[in-house]
Amino acid sequence: MTMSIRPYQTGFAGEVAGINLTQALTPAQVAAIDAGMDQYGVLVFHDQRFDDETQLAFSRNFGELEVSSGAEMSRPEQRRLKMEMADISNLDTNNNLRAASDRMRLTALGNRLWHSDASFRAIPAKYSLLSARVVPGSGGNTEFADMRAAYDALDAAAKAEIEDLITEHSNAYSREQIGFTRVDYGAENQDKLRPVRHRLVRYNPATGRKSLYLSAHIGTIVGWPVPEARAFIRDLMEHATQPRFVHVHVWRPWDLVIWDNRTTMHRARRYNDLTEVRDLRRSTIRGDGPTAEQAQHAA
Amino acid sequence: MTIVTRPLHPVFGAEMTGLDITKPLTKAEVATIEAGMDEYAVLAFPDQPLTDDQQMDFSANFGELEITLAGQMAKPEDRRFQTLELGDISNFAGNSNKLRERDDRRRMYALANRLWHSDASFRAVGAGYTLLHARIVPSVGGNTEFADMRAAYDALDDATKAELEDLVCEHSIVFSREQIGFADYNQGHDDKLRPVQHKLVITHPVSGRKSLYLSSHIGGIVGWPVPEARAFLRDLTEHATQRQFVYSHPWRVGDMVMWDNRTVMHRATRFRDLEEVRDLRRTSIKGTGLEVHVASAMAAE
Repeated sequence: MTMSIRPYQTGFAGEVAGINLTQALTPAQVAAIDAGMDQYGVLVFHDQRFDDETQLAFSRNFGELEVSSGAEMSRPEQRRLKMEMADISNLDTNNNLRAASDRMRLTALGNRLWHSDASFRAIPAKYSLLSARVVPGSGGNTEFADMRAAYDALDAAAKAEIEDLITEHSNAYSREQIGFTRVDYGAENQDKLRPVRHRLVRYNPATGRKSLYLSAHIGTIVGWPVPEARAFIRDLMEHATQPRFVHVHVWRPWDLVIWDNRTTMHRARRYNDLTEVRDLRRSTIRGDGPTAEQAQHAA
Repeated sequence: MTIVTRPLHPVFGAEMTGLDITKPLTKAEVATIEAGMDEYAVLAFPDQPLTDDQQMDFSANFGELEITLAGQMAKPEDRRFQTLELGDISNFAGNSNKLRERDDRRRMYALANRLWHSDASFRAVGAGYTLLHARIVPSVGGNTEFADMRAAYDALDDATKAELEDLVCEHSIVFSREQIGFADYNQGHDDKLRPVQHKLVITHPVSGRKSLYLSSHIGGIVGWPVPEARAFLRDLTEHATQRQFVYSHPWRVGDMVMWDNRTVMHRATRFRDLEEVRDLRRTSIKGTGLEVHVASAMAAE
Protein backbone atom coordinates (compact mmCIF):
# COMPACT_ATOMS: atom_id res chain seq x y z
CA MET A 1 0.00 0.00 0.00
CA THR A 2 1.27 3.45 -0.83
CA MET A 3 0.20 6.50 1.09
CA SER A 4 -1.77 9.03 -0.92
CA ILE A 5 -3.22 12.45 -0.04
CA ARG A 6 -6.35 13.91 -1.57
CA PRO A 7 -6.98 17.60 -0.88
CA TYR A 8 -10.37 18.65 0.49
CA GLN A 9 -12.31 21.35 -1.31
CA THR A 10 -10.89 24.07 0.92
CA GLY A 11 -7.48 23.26 -0.54
CA PHE A 12 -5.37 23.23 2.58
CA ALA A 13 -6.47 20.09 4.45
CA GLY A 14 -5.76 16.65 3.03
CA GLU A 15 -7.34 13.22 3.46
CA VAL A 16 -4.75 10.45 3.66
CA ALA A 17 -5.25 6.85 2.56
CA GLY A 18 -3.06 3.78 2.33
CA ILE A 19 -1.25 3.80 5.66
CA ASN A 20 -1.73 2.09 9.03
CA LEU A 21 -0.40 4.42 11.72
CA THR A 22 -0.82 1.98 14.61
CA GLN A 23 2.15 -0.06 13.41
CA ALA A 24 5.82 0.95 13.37
CA LEU A 25 6.56 3.28 10.45
CA THR A 26 9.60 3.43 8.19
CA PRO A 27 11.63 6.68 8.06
CA ALA A 28 10.30 7.17 4.50
CA GLN A 29 6.70 6.99 5.74
CA VAL A 30 7.42 9.50 8.51
CA ALA A 31 9.09 11.81 5.98
CA ALA A 32 6.06 11.53 3.68
CA ILE A 33 3.73 12.57 6.53
CA ASP A 34 6.03 15.48 7.44
CA ALA A 35 6.07 16.62 3.82
CA GLY A 36 2.27 16.32 3.70
CA MET A 37 2.02 18.45 6.84
CA ASP A 38 4.21 21.16 5.32
CA GLN A 39 2.05 21.21 2.23
CA TYR A 40 -1.42 20.90 3.78
CA GLY A 41 -1.24 22.02 7.43
CA VAL A 42 -3.96 19.49 8.36
CA LEU A 43 -4.03 15.76 7.55
CA VAL A 44 -6.95 13.43 8.20
CA PHE A 45 -6.46 9.65 8.58
CA HIS A 46 -9.49 7.37 8.94
CA ASP A 47 -9.82 4.00 10.70
CA GLN A 48 -6.71 4.26 12.88
CA ARG A 49 -7.50 2.07 15.88
CA PHE A 50 -5.15 3.62 18.40
CA ASP A 51 -4.98 3.00 22.11
CA ASP A 52 -3.05 5.53 24.21
CA GLU A 53 0.24 3.60 23.96
CA THR A 54 0.18 3.22 20.17
CA GLN A 55 -0.89 6.85 19.73
CA LEU A 56 2.04 8.07 21.86
CA ALA A 57 4.46 5.73 20.04
CA PHE A 58 3.28 7.04 16.64
CA SER A 59 3.47 10.64 17.85
CA ARG A 60 7.12 10.30 18.93
CA ASN A 61 8.06 9.95 15.24
CA PHE A 62 7.65 13.70 14.91
CA GLY A 63 9.58 14.97 17.93
CA GLU A 64 9.47 15.39 21.66
CA LEU A 65 6.07 15.02 23.33
CA GLU A 66 4.65 17.94 25.25
CA VAL A 67 3.00 17.49 28.64
CA SER A 68 -0.68 18.43 28.54
CA SER A 69 -1.30 21.82 30.15
CA GLY A 70 -4.66 20.58 31.43
CA ALA A 71 -2.93 17.66 33.15
CA GLU A 72 -0.22 19.94 34.50
CA MET A 73 -2.79 22.15 36.12
CA SER A 74 -4.81 19.29 37.65
CA ARG A 75 -4.16 17.24 40.74
CA PRO A 76 -3.25 13.55 40.08
CA GLU A 77 -6.65 12.33 41.26
CA GLN A 78 -8.35 14.62 38.72
CA ARG A 79 -6.54 13.04 35.75
CA ARG A 80 -8.12 10.36 33.61
CA LEU A 81 -5.12 9.91 31.27
CA LYS A 82 -1.32 10.02 31.24
CA MET A 83 0.44 13.38 31.47
CA GLU A 84 1.38 13.36 27.77
CA MET A 85 -2.21 12.77 26.72
CA ALA A 86 -4.50 15.79 26.70
CA ASP A 87 -7.98 14.70 27.72
CA ILE A 88 -10.32 16.19 25.11
CA SER A 89 -13.45 14.61 26.53
CA ASN A 90 -16.46 15.50 28.65
CA LEU A 91 -15.78 12.68 31.12
CA ASP A 92 -14.60 12.75 34.70
CA THR A 93 -12.14 10.25 36.22
CA ASN A 94 -14.97 7.73 36.71
CA ASN A 95 -15.91 8.05 33.03
CA ASN A 96 -19.13 9.83 33.93
CA LEU A 97 -20.34 12.90 32.03
CA ARG A 98 -19.24 16.13 33.66
CA ALA A 99 -21.94 18.24 35.31
CA ALA A 100 -22.94 21.63 33.87
CA SER A 101 -21.01 23.57 36.52
CA ASP A 102 -17.90 21.31 36.51
CA ARG A 103 -14.79 23.52 36.53
CA MET A 104 -13.06 21.27 33.97
CA ARG A 105 -16.03 21.63 31.65
CA LEU A 106 -16.03 25.40 31.95
CA THR A 107 -12.34 25.79 31.23
CA ALA A 108 -12.63 23.36 28.28
CA LEU A 109 -15.23 25.72 26.77
CA GLY A 110 -12.27 27.96 25.93
CA ASN A 111 -11.53 25.48 23.12
CA ARG A 112 -14.54 26.89 21.30
CA LEU A 113 -12.45 30.02 20.60
CA TRP A 114 -10.02 29.96 17.64
CA HIS A 115 -6.58 29.14 18.97
CA SER A 116 -3.23 27.55 18.34
CA ASP A 117 -2.34 24.86 20.89
CA ALA A 118 0.06 25.82 23.66
CA SER A 119 0.76 29.24 22.16
CA PHE A 120 0.99 30.28 25.83
CA ARG A 121 4.31 28.41 26.11
CA ALA A 122 7.65 30.03 25.32
CA ILE A 123 8.29 27.09 23.01
CA PRO A 124 4.85 26.45 21.59
CA ALA A 125 3.45 23.29 20.02
CA LYS A 126 4.34 22.05 16.56
CA TYR A 127 1.88 19.27 15.68
CA SER A 128 -1.22 18.22 17.57
CA LEU A 129 -2.50 14.68 16.97
CA LEU A 130 -6.12 14.11 17.90
CA SER A 131 -7.60 10.62 17.96
CA ALA A 132 -11.38 10.10 18.11
CA ARG A 133 -12.45 7.24 20.37
CA VAL A 134 -16.13 8.14 20.94
CA VAL A 135 -18.00 10.83 19.01
CA PRO A 136 -21.42 12.41 19.65
CA GLY A 137 -24.40 11.85 17.36
CA SER A 138 -24.30 15.43 16.12
CA GLY A 139 -22.14 18.52 16.56
CA GLY A 140 -18.67 18.62 18.09
CA ASN A 141 -16.87 19.26 14.80
CA THR A 142 -13.36 20.65 14.81
CA GLU A 143 -12.74 23.56 12.46
CA PHE A 144 -9.36 24.54 11.06
CA ALA A 145 -8.26 27.87 9.56
CA ASP A 146 -5.25 28.25 7.28
CA MET A 147 -3.02 31.04 8.62
CA ARG A 148 -0.79 30.98 5.52
CA ALA A 149 -3.67 31.72 3.16
CA ALA A 150 -4.98 34.31 5.64
CA TYR A 151 -1.58 36.01 5.65
CA ASP A 152 -1.28 35.91 1.86
CA ALA A 153 -4.70 37.56 1.50
CA LEU A 154 -3.68 40.67 3.48
CA ASP A 155 -2.82 43.78 1.48
CA ALA A 156 0.76 45.05 1.40
CA ALA A 157 0.08 47.83 3.93
CA ALA A 158 -1.37 45.40 6.46
CA LYS A 159 1.54 43.00 5.96
CA ALA A 160 4.02 45.82 6.58
CA GLU A 161 2.14 46.98 9.68
CA ILE A 162 2.18 43.56 11.35
CA GLU A 163 5.57 42.26 10.19
CA ASP A 164 7.45 42.97 13.42
CA LEU A 165 4.65 42.93 15.97
CA ILE A 166 5.15 40.86 19.12
CA THR A 167 2.13 39.52 20.97
CA GLU A 168 1.69 38.31 24.55
CA HIS A 169 -0.02 34.95 25.12
CA SER A 170 -1.40 33.36 28.27
CA ASN A 171 -3.96 30.66 28.91
CA ALA A 172 -5.63 33.17 31.23
CA TYR A 173 -6.39 35.51 28.31
CA SER A 174 -8.45 32.96 26.37
CA ARG A 175 -10.38 31.88 29.46
CA GLU A 176 -10.93 35.45 30.56
CA GLN A 177 -12.82 36.01 27.29
CA ILE A 178 -15.49 33.57 28.38
CA GLY A 179 -15.51 34.74 31.98
CA PHE A 180 -13.35 32.01 33.51
CA THR A 181 -11.07 34.05 35.74
CA ARG A 182 -7.47 33.77 36.88
CA VAL A 183 -8.63 32.97 40.40
CA ASP A 184 -10.55 29.95 39.05
CA TYR A 185 -7.24 28.28 38.12
CA GLY A 186 -6.27 27.96 41.79
CA ALA A 187 -3.28 29.39 43.66
CA GLU A 188 -1.01 26.53 42.59
CA ASN A 189 -1.34 27.40 38.88
CA GLN A 190 -0.78 31.15 38.88
CA ASP A 191 2.86 30.80 37.73
CA LYS A 192 1.68 28.94 34.61
CA LEU A 193 -0.35 31.95 33.54
CA ARG A 194 2.59 34.31 33.11
CA PRO A 195 2.41 35.71 29.55
CA VAL A 196 4.98 34.69 26.92
CA ARG A 197 5.89 36.60 23.78
CA HIS A 198 5.65 35.48 20.16
CA ARG A 199 5.93 37.00 16.73
CA LEU A 200 2.61 37.71 15.03
CA VAL A 201 4.06 36.77 11.64
CA ARG A 202 5.91 33.46 11.47
CA TYR A 203 8.06 32.09 8.69
CA ASN A 204 8.38 28.41 7.89
CA PRO A 205 11.83 27.72 6.46
CA ALA A 206 10.70 24.34 5.06
CA THR A 207 8.10 25.93 2.78
CA GLY A 208 9.27 29.54 2.56
CA ARG A 209 5.75 30.64 3.53
CA LYS A 210 4.72 33.19 6.12
CA SER A 211 1.70 32.77 8.35
CA LEU A 212 -0.27 34.64 10.99
CA TYR A 213 0.41 33.36 14.47
CA LEU A 214 -2.96 34.14 15.98
CA SER A 215 -4.59 32.54 19.01
CA ALA A 216 -7.31 33.22 21.58
CA HIS A 217 -4.45 33.12 24.10
CA ILE A 218 -3.26 36.54 22.88
CA GLY A 219 -3.94 39.32 25.39
CA THR A 220 -2.02 42.23 23.92
CA ILE A 221 0.62 43.51 21.51
CA VAL A 222 3.89 44.76 22.99
CA GLY A 223 3.94 48.57 22.98
CA TRP A 224 0.23 48.97 22.26
CA PRO A 225 -2.52 50.03 24.67
CA VAL A 226 -4.42 46.84 25.60
CA PRO A 227 -7.86 47.86 24.22
CA GLU A 228 -6.34 48.91 20.90
CA ALA A 229 -4.41 45.65 20.66
CA ARG A 230 -7.50 43.57 21.44
CA ALA A 231 -9.72 45.40 18.96
CA PHE A 232 -7.02 44.97 16.30
CA ILE A 233 -6.49 41.26 17.04
CA ARG A 234 -10.25 40.71 16.85
CA ASP A 235 -10.35 42.29 13.40
CA LEU A 236 -7.40 40.18 12.29
CA MET A 237 -9.06 37.03 13.68
CA GLU A 238 -12.21 37.82 11.77
CA HIS A 239 -10.22 38.21 8.58
CA ALA A 240 -8.26 35.00 9.19
CA THR A 241 -11.28 32.80 9.92
CA GLN A 242 -13.45 33.72 6.96
CA PRO A 243 -15.18 30.64 5.53
CA ARG A 244 -12.80 30.57 2.55
CA PHE A 245 -9.87 29.82 4.88
CA VAL A 246 -11.73 27.24 6.99
CA HIS A 247 -11.96 23.46 6.78
CA VAL A 248 -14.63 21.70 8.85
CA HIS A 249 -13.82 18.24 10.14
CA VAL A 250 -16.79 16.00 11.00
CA TRP A 251 -15.50 13.29 13.34
CA ARG A 252 -15.93 9.56 12.84
CA PRO A 253 -14.70 7.08 15.47
CA TRP A 254 -11.01 6.20 14.89
CA ASP A 255 -10.21 9.32 12.90
CA LEU A 256 -6.76 10.69 13.59
CA VAL A 257 -6.24 14.31 12.61
CA ILE A 258 -2.83 15.97 12.71
CA TRP A 259 -2.49 19.73 12.43
CA ASP A 260 0.42 22.11 12.45
CA ASN A 261 -0.07 24.74 15.14
CA ARG A 262 2.53 26.95 13.47
CA THR A 263 0.39 27.41 10.37
CA THR A 264 -3.22 26.78 11.43
CA MET A 265 -5.72 27.72 14.11
CA HIS A 266 -8.57 25.47 15.17
CA ARG A 267 -11.61 25.42 17.42
CA ALA A 268 -14.17 22.93 18.74
CA ARG A 269 -17.86 23.34 18.03
CA ARG A 270 -20.79 22.86 20.37
CA TYR A 271 -22.54 19.52 20.95
CA ASN A 272 -24.90 18.09 23.56
CA ASP A 273 -22.12 17.58 26.07
CA LEU A 274 -24.40 17.09 29.06
CA THR A 275 -26.04 14.05 27.46
CA GLU A 276 -23.60 12.61 24.89
CA VAL A 277 -20.02 11.38 25.18
CA ARG A 278 -17.21 12.86 23.08
CA ASP A 279 -13.89 11.22 23.92
CA LEU A 280 -10.93 12.50 21.91
CA ARG A 281 -7.31 12.18 22.96
CA ARG A 282 -4.56 14.53 21.96
CA SER A 283 -0.83 14.10 21.88
CA THR A 284 1.25 17.16 21.12
CA ILE A 285 4.71 17.66 19.64
CA ARG A 286 6.87 20.38 21.07
CA GLY A 287 8.06 23.09 18.67
CA ASP A 288 11.68 23.74 17.70
CA GLY A 289 12.22 26.93 19.68
CA PRO A 290 10.88 30.31 20.69
CA THR A 291 9.34 32.46 17.94
CA ALA A 292 10.09 35.93 19.24
CA GLU A 293 13.77 35.69 18.32
CA GLN A 294 13.11 33.84 15.07
CA ALA A 295 14.91 35.48 12.18
CA GLN A 296 12.53 36.85 9.59
CA HIS A 297 13.41 36.12 6.02
CA ALA A 298 12.60 38.43 3.18
CA ALA A 299 9.73 36.98 1.17
CA MET B 1 -40.06 66.80 -4.22
CA THR B 2 -40.86 63.13 -4.21
CA ILE B 3 -39.34 60.87 -1.58
CA VAL B 4 -37.32 58.12 -3.26
CA THR B 5 -36.24 54.98 -1.38
CA ARG B 6 -33.42 52.95 -2.89
CA PRO B 7 -32.30 49.66 -1.22
CA LEU B 8 -28.62 49.48 -0.23
CA HIS B 9 -28.39 45.74 0.44
CA PRO B 10 -30.34 42.59 -0.51
CA VAL B 11 -31.97 42.12 2.93
CA PHE B 12 -32.13 45.55 4.59
CA GLY B 13 -30.98 49.18 4.51
CA ALA B 14 -32.05 51.90 2.10
CA GLU B 15 -31.12 55.39 0.99
CA MET B 16 -33.84 58.01 1.19
CA THR B 17 -33.65 61.10 -1.03
CA GLY B 18 -36.02 63.87 -2.08
CA LEU B 19 -36.46 65.15 1.46
CA ASP B 20 -34.82 68.12 3.25
CA ILE B 21 -34.47 66.96 6.86
CA THR B 22 -32.86 70.24 8.00
CA LYS B 23 -36.37 71.74 7.88
CA PRO B 24 -39.46 70.83 9.94
CA LEU B 25 -41.20 67.78 8.52
CA THR B 26 -44.88 67.15 7.90
CA LYS B 27 -46.64 64.31 9.73
CA ALA B 28 -46.83 62.45 6.43
CA GLU B 29 -43.07 62.75 5.91
CA VAL B 30 -42.38 61.48 9.43
CA ALA B 31 -44.75 58.57 8.82
CA THR B 32 -42.94 57.74 5.56
CA ILE B 33 -39.60 57.64 7.38
CA GLU B 34 -41.02 55.47 10.17
CA ALA B 35 -42.51 53.06 7.66
CA GLY B 36 -39.13 52.96 5.90
CA MET B 37 -37.44 52.17 9.22
CA ASP B 38 -39.87 49.35 9.94
CA GLU B 39 -39.12 47.83 6.58
CA TYR B 40 -35.39 48.56 6.08
CA ALA B 41 -34.14 49.05 9.70
CA VAL B 42 -31.37 51.36 8.41
CA LEU B 43 -32.00 54.55 6.41
CA ALA B 44 -29.31 56.82 4.97
CA PHE B 45 -30.06 60.45 4.03
CA PRO B 46 -27.15 61.84 1.99
CA ASP B 47 -26.24 65.54 1.68
CA GLN B 48 -28.06 66.84 4.76
CA PRO B 49 -25.99 69.73 6.23
CA LEU B 50 -27.60 69.62 9.69
CA THR B 51 -26.60 71.82 12.61
CA ASP B 52 -26.71 70.30 16.13
CA ASP B 53 -30.07 71.95 16.80
CA GLN B 54 -31.49 70.76 13.50
CA GLN B 55 -30.30 67.22 14.23
CA MET B 56 -32.06 67.30 17.60
CA ASP B 57 -35.23 68.76 16.08
CA PHE B 58 -35.27 66.11 13.36
CA SER B 59 -34.65 63.36 15.94
CA ALA B 60 -37.46 64.59 18.19
CA ASN B 61 -39.94 63.62 15.46
CA PHE B 62 -39.41 60.00 16.49
CA GLY B 63 -39.75 60.12 20.27
CA GLU B 64 -38.03 61.14 23.47
CA LEU B 65 -34.28 61.83 23.14
CA GLU B 66 -31.90 59.79 25.29
CA ILE B 67 -29.04 61.23 27.33
CA THR B 68 -25.70 59.64 26.35
CA LEU B 69 -23.92 57.49 28.92
CA ALA B 70 -20.46 58.81 28.03
CA GLY B 71 -21.79 62.36 28.50
CA GLN B 72 -23.32 61.40 31.85
CA MET B 73 -20.06 59.88 33.05
CA ALA B 74 -17.78 62.69 31.79
CA LYS B 75 -16.86 65.77 33.79
CA PRO B 76 -18.63 68.89 32.40
CA GLU B 77 -15.32 70.54 31.40
CA ASP B 78 -14.40 67.47 29.30
CA ARG B 79 -17.58 67.59 27.22
CA ARG B 80 -17.53 69.06 23.73
CA PHE B 81 -21.27 69.62 23.80
CA GLN B 82 -23.24 71.11 26.64
CA THR B 83 -26.40 69.31 25.56
CA LEU B 84 -26.33 65.83 27.10
CA GLU B 85 -28.62 64.51 24.37
CA LEU B 86 -25.93 65.06 21.74
CA GLY B 87 -23.42 62.20 21.65
CA ASP B 88 -19.82 63.00 20.68
CA ILE B 89 -18.66 60.28 18.28
CA SER B 90 -15.34 61.91 17.44
CA ASN B 91 -11.66 61.43 18.20
CA PHE B 92 -11.18 64.94 19.59
CA ALA B 93 -9.60 65.22 23.06
CA GLY B 94 -12.61 66.61 24.90
CA ASN B 95 -13.45 70.25 24.35
CA SER B 96 -10.44 71.02 22.12
CA ASN B 97 -9.31 70.73 18.52
CA LYS B 98 -6.54 68.30 19.42
CA LEU B 99 -6.83 64.62 18.59
CA ARG B 100 -6.85 62.13 21.44
CA GLU B 101 -3.49 60.66 22.38
CA ARG B 102 -2.91 56.97 21.86
CA ASP B 103 -3.53 56.04 25.51
CA ASP B 104 -6.32 58.58 26.18
CA ARG B 105 -8.91 56.74 28.29
CA ARG B 106 -11.76 58.22 26.24
CA ARG B 107 -10.13 56.62 23.20
CA MET B 108 -9.90 53.28 25.05
CA TYR B 109 -13.57 53.50 26.02
CA ALA B 110 -14.60 54.31 22.44
CA LEU B 111 -12.60 51.40 20.97
CA ALA B 112 -15.30 49.07 22.25
CA ASN B 113 -17.56 50.55 19.56
CA ARG B 114 -15.61 48.29 17.21
CA LEU B 115 -17.49 45.35 18.77
CA TRP B 116 -20.95 44.53 17.40
CA HIS B 117 -23.54 46.10 19.67
CA SER B 118 -26.99 47.58 20.03
CA ASP B 119 -26.94 51.09 21.49
CA ALA B 120 -27.84 51.43 25.17
CA SER B 121 -28.81 47.78 25.51
CA PHE B 122 -27.27 48.17 29.00
CA ARG B 123 -30.31 50.25 30.00
CA ALA B 124 -33.57 48.83 31.28
CA VAL B 125 -35.11 50.51 28.22
CA GLY B 126 -32.60 50.19 25.39
CA ALA B 127 -32.42 52.68 22.53
CA GLY B 128 -34.95 52.64 19.71
CA TYR B 129 -33.52 54.65 16.83
CA THR B 130 -30.01 56.04 16.74
CA LEU B 131 -29.30 58.93 14.37
CA LEU B 132 -25.70 59.56 13.37
CA HIS B 133 -24.62 62.58 11.34
CA ALA B 134 -21.23 62.97 9.66
CA ARG B 135 -19.49 66.35 9.99
CA ILE B 136 -15.88 65.34 9.22
CA VAL B 137 -14.86 61.96 7.85
CA PRO B 138 -11.42 60.36 7.47
CA SER B 139 -10.02 59.67 4.00
CA VAL B 140 -9.84 55.90 4.58
CA GLY B 141 -11.72 53.52 6.91
CA GLY B 142 -14.09 54.38 9.75
CA ASN B 143 -17.14 52.79 8.12
CA THR B 144 -20.10 51.87 10.25
CA GLU B 145 -21.32 48.33 9.65
CA PHE B 146 -24.86 47.14 10.29
CA ALA B 147 -26.16 43.59 10.71
CA ASP B 148 -29.83 42.69 10.28
CA MET B 149 -30.98 40.77 13.37
CA ARG B 150 -34.33 39.88 11.76
CA ALA B 151 -32.69 38.13 8.82
CA ALA B 152 -30.22 36.50 11.24
CA TYR B 153 -33.12 35.21 13.34
CA ASP B 154 -35.04 33.96 10.31
CA ALA B 155 -32.00 31.99 9.14
CA LEU B 156 -31.80 29.92 12.36
CA ASP B 157 -33.13 26.37 12.29
CA ASP B 158 -36.25 25.50 14.27
CA ALA B 159 -34.37 23.73 17.06
CA THR B 160 -32.20 26.79 17.67
CA LYS B 161 -35.19 29.14 17.55
CA ALA B 162 -36.93 26.99 20.18
CA GLU B 163 -33.81 26.97 22.35
CA LEU B 164 -33.49 30.76 22.23
CA GLU B 165 -37.14 31.70 22.56
CA ASP B 166 -37.24 32.26 26.32
CA LEU B 167 -33.63 33.08 27.11
CA VAL B 168 -32.92 36.26 29.07
CA CYS B 169 -29.53 38.00 28.84
CA GLU B 170 -27.68 40.31 31.20
CA HIS B 171 -26.31 43.53 29.70
CA SER B 172 -23.88 46.08 31.14
CA ILE B 173 -21.47 48.60 29.66
CA VAL B 174 -18.85 46.84 31.82
CA PHE B 175 -19.10 43.63 29.78
CA SER B 176 -18.32 45.22 26.41
CA ARG B 177 -15.40 47.22 27.81
CA GLU B 178 -14.08 44.17 29.67
CA GLN B 179 -13.77 42.33 26.34
CA ILE B 180 -11.11 44.73 25.17
CA GLY B 181 -9.43 45.00 28.57
CA PHE B 182 -10.79 48.37 29.67
CA ALA B 183 -12.01 48.80 33.24
CA ASP B 184 -11.02 52.36 34.05
CA TYR B 185 -14.32 54.06 34.80
CA ASN B 186 -14.61 57.25 36.78
CA GLN B 187 -15.69 56.62 40.35
CA GLY B 188 -19.27 56.87 41.46
CA HIS B 189 -21.10 55.34 38.51
CA ASP B 190 -21.97 51.97 40.03
CA ASP B 191 -25.66 52.51 39.35
CA LYS B 192 -24.94 52.87 35.63
CA LEU B 193 -22.80 49.74 35.49
CA ARG B 194 -25.30 47.37 37.13
CA PRO B 195 -26.49 44.69 34.65
CA VAL B 196 -30.03 44.82 33.25
CA GLN B 197 -31.97 41.94 31.74
CA HIS B 198 -33.47 41.66 28.26
CA LYS B 199 -35.00 38.85 26.28
CA LEU B 200 -32.73 37.45 23.57
CA VAL B 201 -35.55 37.10 21.05
CA ILE B 202 -37.67 40.20 20.70
CA THR B 203 -40.66 41.02 18.53
CA HIS B 204 -40.82 44.37 16.78
CA PRO B 205 -43.91 46.26 17.99
CA VAL B 206 -44.93 47.41 14.49
CA SER B 207 -43.67 44.88 11.96
CA GLY B 208 -44.27 41.89 14.26
CA ARG B 209 -40.99 40.37 13.06
CA LYS B 210 -38.79 38.55 15.52
CA SER B 211 -35.14 39.46 15.86
CA LEU B 212 -32.08 38.61 17.92
CA TYR B 213 -31.37 41.18 20.60
CA LEU B 214 -27.61 40.63 20.66
CA SER B 215 -24.99 43.12 21.84
CA SER B 216 -21.40 43.12 23.07
CA HIS B 217 -22.87 44.53 26.29
CA ILE B 218 -24.17 41.03 27.12
CA GLY B 219 -22.17 39.22 29.80
CA GLY B 220 -24.34 36.22 30.59
CA ILE B 221 -27.59 34.31 30.16
CA VAL B 222 -29.80 33.97 33.22
CA GLY B 223 -29.46 30.44 34.63
CA TRP B 224 -26.40 29.47 32.55
CA PRO B 225 -22.79 29.15 33.74
CA VAL B 226 -21.00 32.28 32.48
CA PRO B 227 -18.41 30.54 30.25
CA GLU B 228 -21.11 28.46 28.58
CA ALA B 229 -23.25 31.54 27.98
CA ARG B 230 -20.35 33.49 26.51
CA ALA B 231 -19.22 30.68 24.21
CA PHE B 232 -22.81 30.29 23.03
CA LEU B 233 -23.32 34.03 22.46
CA ARG B 234 -20.08 34.21 20.47
CA ASP B 235 -21.36 31.49 18.17
CA LEU B 236 -24.68 33.25 17.82
CA THR B 237 -23.03 36.63 17.13
CA GLU B 238 -20.84 34.99 14.51
CA HIS B 239 -23.92 33.55 12.85
CA ALA B 240 -25.74 36.88 13.04
CA THR B 241 -22.92 38.94 11.54
CA GLN B 242 -22.15 36.82 8.49
CA ARG B 243 -21.55 38.97 5.45
CA GLN B 244 -24.94 38.21 3.92
CA PHE B 245 -26.58 40.02 6.86
CA VAL B 246 -24.15 42.99 6.87
CA TYR B 247 -24.24 46.39 5.18
CA SER B 248 -21.09 48.51 5.48
CA HIS B 249 -21.71 52.26 5.27
CA PRO B 250 -18.85 54.39 3.90
CA TRP B 251 -19.39 57.87 5.35
CA ARG B 252 -19.57 61.07 3.35
CA VAL B 253 -19.83 64.49 4.95
CA GLY B 254 -23.49 65.40 5.41
CA ASP B 255 -24.71 61.81 5.66
CA MET B 256 -27.40 61.23 8.24
CA VAL B 257 -27.87 57.53 8.96
CA MET B 258 -30.53 56.26 11.31
CA TRP B 259 -31.04 52.71 12.47
CA ASP B 260 -33.36 50.77 14.73
CA ASN B 261 -31.42 49.21 17.63
CA ARG B 262 -34.26 46.74 18.16
CA THR B 263 -33.58 45.12 14.78
CA VAL B 264 -29.91 45.76 13.91
CA MET B 265 -26.51 45.61 15.54
CA HIS B 266 -23.73 47.91 14.38
CA ARG B 267 -20.04 48.55 14.87
CA ALA B 268 -17.40 51.07 13.87
CA THR B 269 -14.42 49.96 11.81
CA ARG B 270 -10.83 51.09 12.20
CA PHE B 271 -9.36 54.30 10.77
CA ARG B 272 -6.13 56.22 11.36
CA ASP B 273 -7.53 57.99 14.38
CA LEU B 274 -4.20 59.34 15.64
CA GLU B 275 -3.74 61.31 12.41
CA GLU B 276 -7.17 61.97 10.91
CA VAL B 277 -10.37 63.52 12.26
CA ARG B 278 -13.68 61.68 12.30
CA ASP B 279 -16.43 63.83 13.78
CA LEU B 280 -19.87 62.24 13.93
CA ARG B 281 -22.73 63.33 16.18
CA ARG B 282 -25.26 61.03 17.62
CA THR B 283 -28.77 61.38 18.91
CA SER B 284 -30.88 58.46 20.04
CA ILE B 285 -34.48 57.79 20.82
CA LYS B 286 -35.71 55.77 23.79
CA GLY B 287 -36.99 52.38 22.70
CA THR B 288 -40.65 51.63 23.17
CA GLY B 289 -43.06 48.77 22.80
CA LEU B 290 -40.80 45.78 23.44
CA GLU B 291 -41.52 42.72 25.54
CA VAL B 292 -38.08 43.46 26.96
CA HIS B 293 -39.79 45.41 29.70
CA VAL B 294 -41.75 42.35 30.72
CA ALA B 295 -38.59 40.30 31.17
CA SER B 296 -36.93 43.06 33.19
CA ALA B 297 -39.99 43.55 35.34
CA MET B 298 -40.33 39.83 36.00
CA ALA B 299 -36.68 39.55 36.94
CA ALA B 300 -37.05 42.40 39.40
CA GLU B 301 -39.90 40.72 41.26
